[in-house]
Amino acid sequence: MRGTGTDQTGARTEGARGARCPASALVRCLSDIARFAVSVRPTLLALLLVHLVAAPLHAGEPPLLAADVAAGKLPAMAARLPQEPLVVDMAEPGRHGGSIETLLGRAKDIRLMVVYGYSRLVGYDEKLQIRPDILRDIEVKEGREFTLHLRRGHKWSDGQPFTAEDFRYFFEDMAFNQEFAKQGPFAELMVDGKLPTFAVIDEVTVRIAWEQPNPTFLAQLASAQPLYIYRPAHYLKQFHAKHAAPDELGKLVKKAKAKDWVGLHYKKDHQYQNDNPEMPTLDPWINTTESPADRYVLVRNPYFHRVDRNGLQLPYLDRVVVNIANGKLIPAKVGAGEADLQARNLDFKNYTILKQGEKRNGYRVHLWKSGKGSQLALYPNLNVKDPVWRVLVRDARFRRALSLAIDRHEINEVVFFGLGIESNNTVLPGTPLFKPEYQSQWARFDLEAANRLLDEAGLSVRDSEGIRLLPDGRPLEIIVETAGEDLNETDILELIRDSWYAAGIKLFTKPFRRETLRSRASAGETLMSTWFGLENGIATADASPVELAPTGDDQLNWPLWGLHTMTNGKGGEPVEDAAAKRLVELYAAWAHAPGTAEREGIWAQMLKINAEQVFTIGLICGVPQPVVASNRLHNVPSQGLFNWNPGAYFGLYRPDTFWLEGE
Amino acid sequence: MISFLLRRLATMVLTLLVISVLVFAIIQLPEGDYLSTYIADLEAQGESVDPAKIEALRQRYGLDRPLYEQYGVWVLGLAQGDLGYSFEHDKPVSDVVGDRLWLSLILNLITVMFVYVVSFPIGVYSATNKYSIADYGFTLVGFLGIAIPNFLLALIMLYFANVWFGTSIGGLMDPKFIDEPWSWAKLLSVLEHLWVPVLVIGLSGTAGMIRRLRANLLDELNKQYVVTGRAKGLPEGRLLRKYPLRMALNPFISDIGSLLPEIVSGSVIVSAVMSLPTTGPMLLDSLQSQDMYLAGSFLMFLALLTVVGMFLSDVLLAVLDPRIRLEGGVRR
Amino acid sequence: MTATMPHFVSKAPFAPEAVEAMSAAQERYYLASQWRLMWWKFKRHRLAVIAGVLLLASYGSTLVTELVAPYALGSRNTDFIFAPPQPIRLFHEGRLQTPFVYPLRYKLDMETLKRDYSEDRSRPQRLRFFCSGDKYRFWGLVEGRFHVICPPEGGTLFLFGTDRLGRDVLSRLVYGARISLTVGLIGIAVSFLLGISIGGMAGYFGGWIDACVQRVTEILRSLPVLPIWMALSAALPVTWSPVLVYFGITIILGLLDWPGLARAVRSKLLALREEDYALAARLMGARPSHIIRKHLLPNFMSHLIASATLSIPGMILGETALSFLGLGLRPPITSWGVMLAEAQNIEAVALYPWLLWPMVPVIVIVLAFNFFGDGLRDAADPYH
Repeated sequence: MRGTGTDQTGARTEGARGARCPASALVRCLSDIARFAVSVRPTLLALLLVHLVAAPLHAGEPPLLAADVAAGKLPAMAARLPQEPLVVDMAEPGRHGGSIETLLGRAKDIRLMVVYGYSRLVGYDEKLQIRPDILRDIEVKEGREFTLHLRRGHKWSDGQPFTAEDFRYFFEDMAFNQEFAKQGPFAELMVDGKLPTFAVIDEVTVRIAWEQPNPTFLAQLASAQPLYIYRPAHYLKQFHAKHAAPDELGKLVKKAKAKDWVGLHYKKDHQYQNDNPEMPTLDPWINTTESPADRYVLVRNPYFHRVDRNGLQLPYLDRVVVNIANGKLIPAKVGAGEADLQARNLDFKNYTILKQGEKRNGYRVHLWKSGKGSQLALYPNLNVKDPVWRVLVRDARFRRALSLAIDRHEINEVVFFGLGIESNNTVLPGTPLFKPEYQSQWARFDLEAANRLLDEAGLSVRDSEGIRLLPDGRPLEIIVETAGEDLNETDILELIRDSWYAAGIKLFTKPFRRETLRSRASAGETLMSTWFGLENGIATADASPVELAPTGDDQLNWPLWGLHTMTNGKGGEPVEDAAAKRLVELYAAWAHAPGTAEREGIWAQMLKINAEQVFTIGLICGVPQPVVASNRLHNVPSQGLFNWNPGAYFGLYRPDTFWLEGE
Repeated sequence: MISFLLRRLATMVLTLLVISVLVFAIIQLPEGDYLSTYIADLEAQGESVDPAKIEALRQRYGLDRPLYEQYGVWVLGLAQGDLGYSFEHDKPVSDVVGDRLWLSLILNLITVMFVYVVSFPIGVYSATNKYSIADYGFTLVGFLGIAIPNFLLALIMLYFANVWFGTSIGGLMDPKFIDEPWSWAKLLSVLEHLWVPVLVIGLSGTAGMIRRLRANLLDELNKQYVVTGRAKGLPEGRLLRKYPLRMALNPFISDIGSLLPEIVSGSVIVSAVMSLPTTGPMLLDSLQSQDMYLAGSFLMFLALLTVVGMFLSDVLLAVLDPRIRLEGGVRR
Repeated sequence: MTATMPHFVSKAPFAPEAVEAMSAAQERYYLASQWRLMWWKFKRHRLAVIAGVLLLASYGSTLVTELVAPYALGSRNTDFIFAPPQPIRLFHEGRLQTPFVYPLRYKLDMETLKRDYSEDRSRPQRLRFFCSGDKYRFWGLVEGRFHVICPPEGGTLFLFGTDRLGRDVLSRLVYGARISLTVGLIGIAVSFLLGISIGGMAGYFGGWIDACVQRVTEILRSLPVLPIWMALSAALPVTWSPVLVYFGITIILGLLDWPGLARAVRSKLLALREEDYALAARLMGARPSHIIRKHLLPNFMSHLIASATLSIPGMILGETALSFLGLGLRPPITSWGVMLAEAQNIEAVALYPWLLWPMVPVIVIVLAFNFFGDGLRDAADPYH
């Protein structure tokens, strides 16, 4: 998230050009996070996106396209690029050509190639600052009016111009269209329940404005799963009742077995799903394979808008081939050298086997870091139905005692070779909002203190086995419900079980399917469950603190309170805990805060409350993620952050700059 | 014979109809529907969904309709060759399955052939040389085949096929051949990969088949007509071929009925482990994601395979054993 | 016959009883019940007896699991994660000793993060027998510490190695037997009852009953088993305790297994009821149930037993398959299926092969059931 743009002066800000950096500490953070590393290669890591006024003159055609260009089937490179392409600086500028293979677990995961490709209107750079990417520039006024400047001459992957019309199509023909609204409103566009206004200024300039500030808009655009506010209008118009001839459209609807034209439109409009090869794209590689398939071939986009500093059009790689294989086989396949670039479906426990294949199969195994607030966290359900338990779970002393009775060091050693960070569920060390007490408060292993707190909470009576008794005489048996898909999860719970036993608490694990887990929590059946910690553990002040307060019904620790906030009091139950109530107020204050400094203050308060109150019990963060890259593949950083959002997994490191030597 | 065939055919259709009801009911058993698993799946990934959109999707997919209506739409479609619509892939099922049905059929047929070709001679040998070392040897190997869980065996064999022969792990061919037209190299690659699943799926079936053939043949060999034949001085080979073997073949053929479901079922789990481009992996996925028409149509296809297999076995049996053909003339 | 026999006439008076009188041994044989005869015959089948003893021992061990296992179920040793098996030794520096093990030395290979263990050959550690070790609750009720075998004082005893939490694989196997061995029994009981009665009815009566049963079995059997398992176990109420889930799963396994048996029973009966002795019994006015039980059933008992021996291991394997799919039993319950499912990864095959140990008891039990069944089959065969 960008720190500028909401200055009260309302002047044109320079944020887009990266002048100010509230998150400058992130450089340090990233190298901290990668504490496994000794020698950082900052030149390789630091990949600066710089604007140049004109495309460099010296340019070589990608060999793959040379024949088509020579035959006149394809315009020359200069004509394919926007007038002002995005010039990417990198440690090792490379050469065109080659093809790499990677593996995904399911056919529909092909959408991850849109994530890896990470071509966004604006995107995060390696310092986690938002910079223009597809856009040439963006102006923000009062945090509510956004003027987007496109690159003149930018083209879709089929050679058609990418212009303001593509934005207009999205807003006027889709977002503001009644037929579409019937299929569910575009809630992600709304601020305080209201859609923005849209205006075309000229062919390459559009303006989007809300009545209230929209602090999350840029982050939405830059997200791994982005908010797409443009569509290939020239392609989609054939499926739109306003633009297509009715009988032609009728035939298409029938052929696709759709219900009506809106259904057909939804079916064809798979910008993110990436499974419609006909649909033009702005991504570095175009999917050419009809879904579902066992092998997808993605070919370079001849109109991609980035070039390297030598004037070579990116991406370097001609093809990315995605093979679909059973997730359980993927580590074996990677170890046998069947992937040139792979991180997905690899787990830290595969490290040894991967490392053993390194020499034989010519690849390197890097360890990147996860950006989650905690690899696994316990969620005591404050909305549990059982009245006795509810009183107990809402008692902060009880939650603190549970946290104190966990030996995080042992978990770290046993499961992660001590390479993780023992921590509460909070922001990661080294990130700008981090304070040591968030990490360590109530998170040390102290059975004595835990026992004392439990005694204080009215649980001093024990049975013959030494298990504490609830006020109504039942033994203190906590059933932890887990999605249980990962062995690590059951292992960690096994470890916790022993130390809790020493504190007079019995732990039982019960595996559920993911969807059941959630509905049981909402119904108050669940006493405690496990899930990941904070999705965004590398947050800056401008990122939404939505995960820290009761804001949604998907939050396992207070689903009913979350629902209450989400529905403005129509559903769920009103928040009954003073600290949680304060979190809701702070969250509301964040959304209307005038500037970054205020937001920082709010974040600090929220993090502090969360750490003090132990609403979730975090365990280990910053766990290592193996990343396998072929020895021939250049520009893959040896340390990095493997995170969904912000990060887009590989996207943060711009896979279009990866290149193959040899061949 | 013709009336027997017709009767048999009619019941087959009826059977399929009942199966369709059962299949549909079974798919509906777990709580929730496709959309609830879809949401959970997205959230696990960190992706977000808008509840209002989900409601619209539920209507679009007809998941808000009563169950019998959903069933009716599906079965009527099936009868007309329309396999329904896959939510997960947002496409008609027929577009989704592609070659998978055929590859499944081929894989299963090859496995059945493997089972027969291997088990017949061994079964006969074991029965005629009861308690010989070879009998125990085959029994042992056969039981190892039954005893090792096939999903684990699949993994072990994949690993060693890779280490020893450099075969790429999983799949039905080297990935580089997938999009290529058929060629010798591609065929070779297929053969190189095919033996592992055929062996893994077929092994337990083979062991069972040897066992049953041996037991049946032993029963027959102890019958008095055999003793009579032997007493009359019939050569041992001729004696065996002429009567007991034919009698023992009877259950051998009726066992197609038990062999086929076993193989089909086994191929589902083995294909999933080995990522074969057959119906297996997709069926498991669709069952887990509750993509009901896709799962339903796959199950119907597999059921069809076995029903037709049993039909064939009954016809064969009737040809071989007139008592069955004539329905035995039921007397009380 | 060249030599002529001398002529002989007994002078004793003819007493018919003397000819028909049986020796004590003969009397015992002729008057013995069918089951006793079977037992005598069975005893002659040495392999079957061995298998039977083995099965008896295995099932017996599930009664005293806590005493047999060297470690308690939950016990883990985080200093020894993925430790390889420690062999029991008798000779230290060439001299015979009481059974001992060498302690393990642990080194972490920083390059591959592999845990390397080596034996410290200088310090033999003596095993303890009939000793006091890990604390457990016998059948979840009585607390105890007595074990048949214990690790050496201050040492470790991982005969089959340890898993990713440093849990002793052998102890888990012993505990897993309690679940895995009984899955088959309950399942097969359900399946047998249904199979014999339904198949028997169909085969004997024929006609519409047969047609109905035929259809039902055909329908049930043409449904691929696996997805049905999946759906049924997914449909087990989520609030069920692990024990209930376990029973639910065994019953599901049994419910889906009977059609095979019924079909076999039917086809045999179909042929047998045409035999002369069945006709004779019918003419003499015997009731159908009597004919089936007394005349027909013993006839194909052998076939039934062969099927049953194949079915029990099938169910044990069924449990593993369900665990593998993440349905059915799941950790923290310990069964062989759960252990195998945990070993379902490339690491177990390539780096820690001792995690595949649960395959061995599965195989041994399957073999034992088969040889045992073989012996029974021969013993029950009236023609033999």
